[in-house]
Amino acid sequence: MALYLYLHFPALQCDSITDPGQQALPLAVVDAQHSIIQLNAQAAAQGVQLQMGLATAAALCHNLQLIPYQPQQQQAVLRSIAQQLYQVSADIALDGPDGLYLRLCNMLQLYQGLAGYRAALMAALALLPYQYYYASAATPLAAKCLALQRLNLLTQDSIDTETALKRSPLSFTELEPDIQQQLQRLGIASLGRLLALSTTELARRFDNRLVSYLGRLRGEFFHALEYIRPEPGFSRYLELLYDISDMAVLSAPLSRLLQQLQQQLQRNNALCHQLTLRLYCRDSETQNYSVGSAQGEYRAANWLKLCQLQLENHRLTAPVYGLQLEATHFMPQQAQSDDLFAPQQGNVSALQLVSLLQARLGSNAVSGLSLQNQHLPEQASGRPLPLLQTKPLAGALLQRPAFILPQPRPLQEAVEISSGPERLCPDGWQLAAQRDYFIGRNGKGQWLWLYRTAQQQWFVHGLFS
Amino acid sequence: MSALLQQLARRQLLWHGNSQQAAYQAVSSGYPQLDQQLAGGFPSTGLIDIQTNTGIGELRLLLPYLQQQQQHSGRLLVFISPPAQPCADMLVTAGIVLSQLVIITPKTAKEALWAAEQCLQSGCCASVLMWQVPLKLALARRLQLAAEQGGASLVLLRRPAASLSLPVNLSLELTPHQHGLQLSVHKRKGGWPAAAFLLDMQQHWPALYPAADSAALPQRKAG
Repeated sequence: MALYLYLHFPALQCDSITDPGQQALPLAVVDAQHSIIQLNAQAAAQGVQLQMGLATAAALCHNLQLIPYQPQQQQAVLRSIAQQLYQVSADIALDGPDGLYLRLCNMLQLYQGLAGYRAALMAALALLPYQYYYASAATPLAAKCLALQRLNLLTQDSIDTETALKRSPLSFTELEPDIQQQLQRLGIASLGRLLALSTTELARRFDNRLVSYLGRLRGEFFHALEYIRPEPGFSRYLELLYDISDMAVLSAPLSRLLQQLQQQLQRNNALCHQLTLRLYCRDSETQNYSVGSAQGEYRAANWLKLCQLQLENHRLTAPVYGLQLEATHFMPQQAQSDDLFAPQQGNVSALQLVSLLQARLGSNAVSGLSLQNQHLPEQASGRPLPLLQTKPLAGALLQRPAFILPQPRPLQEAVEISSGPERLCPDGWQLAAQRDYFIGRNGKGQWLWLYRTAQQQWFVHGLFS
Repeated sequence: MSALLQQLARRQLLWHGNSQQAAYQAVSSGYPQLDQQLAGGFPSTGLIDIQTNTGIGELRLLLPYLQQQQQHSGRLLVFISPPAQPCADMLVTAGIVLSQLVIITPKTAKEALWAAEQCLQSGCCASVLMWQVPLKLALARRLQLAAEQGGASLVLLRRPAASLSLPVNLSLELTPHQHGLQLSVHKRKGGWPAAAFLLDMQQHWPALYPAADSAALPQRKAG
């Protein structure tokens, strides 16, 4: 027997904005017609109700915080809930703007019955800050109709759901207002009376919208649901309750986002190497920061440290009203094996150290060194990323100085030549550009690497340190 | 020795004048003459202060030590603010593994010190070399603690300066010489400062110090 569960979230946008650490203010979400469509418990306690006008609500509750309704943001929150519940239930379909269909029948065997499933689902929902109502029924639309009535009914007994469904008023169905009005005029107020009528009779008097709805409600017609698939990566937006203009204060909301990232990474048994942090500034352009970890991290505390190091170097020009955290690529977690006998001195690995240094000093300031297969000293030393394992292509040349000057400087002192010459010619046998290298010692006892050009000019190119 | 003396010695109430307790674990410097003077070599952890001018052979003096430090533990070697671009050929010739070398070029002295402390503390660096960063007493102590914690050594290369002595394990001053380097030990933890001596580098670096008798090349002046 098919069994579906519908989850209804009555105040999604309102709940997503509430900071659990803060003292709760009465909050309400207002749509474009200035009527209240979502409110939190504090606002409800003050007497504010849904569908109430703005003026009435403000008169009832003087410190009511109003937020404009943002459908995209609500959709994003709904999607993130679905992603989180995906760990509990396999088949989840979004029903915008505030509901989720869950197919139960194929999950019951896993949880050994409805009680086990209910416990797992409630535990997952308890972690989220959203209010919810639920109901189960044999078809998705029946479950939705019951959930909208806030019945919180979860049962496999078809008689219970049947009686509840028959009692439900038409206003909780998906029927369009004009059909509802027509039915009202016929004296049909509840679903039970509508279901008692024969379908052929109804089809004659009403258009196919009603017939199609009733068919899907009864389970006679196929109701296609688009089940979600787990998204790769992580992307969360957090709207701040108040503007923040200090980087240090920013770490509190940031750590909340990073905690969510940690939860997701832990569930996927994954790591990520790169985060993108986007700060939405008021009256100013959005600032993007890219925070990297060479080793890959999942722990929120380590990510927070890296983010703080990076943010320390920057100054906020405008107050921030929103944060977005994105991680596009997840990598599988690999256990690191340490030496059992060698003493472990620190709890930081080389890659973690490099990420730490790069976060504070900038990625250009930290590099490795590699030997290139080149005979010209300018090209012989490469500066790759640190800790990159490279295979030496060629043997090292002998008698090279410790340091190569970035720009050769003209020789302006007396030197004593002790070795040379070694003739180096640039590629393509440009004889005019060939140089004869000598090792010389100046009056201060410094060993210099000198060269003489074909034009008999002398330059210092390196230092034997 | 009498039974009483043995008992006192066991309780460490008796101090032998000839017993030399090493204050640190020494790593051979690669130069037997220097090892003898330093009673074993350079310290494997803690601060090493080297007062020298650039380009007189200070890195050549350290290379065998750095190579051993890196190879022995398989940990990183870090160069902080080197005076110019280090040359890969020379380091490979000295046996340094380039993939285990990190070069940091910070913009300010403060950043350099921060980087040095992070590297020393992390426990994944064997040695850190830092060029020409002014250091105060409190900072030196802090770095010394970080180095002990991470089991790493920090080599400070700075110009000779008549400043206060820092809390370091070893302090050397180098002056150039025709056949090598003139070394004077200013301070050595657990030992006496020795008189200045000459370290002959002729056999290690024949190209730089041609033997006096084989004047293969005519002496030339350029300028």
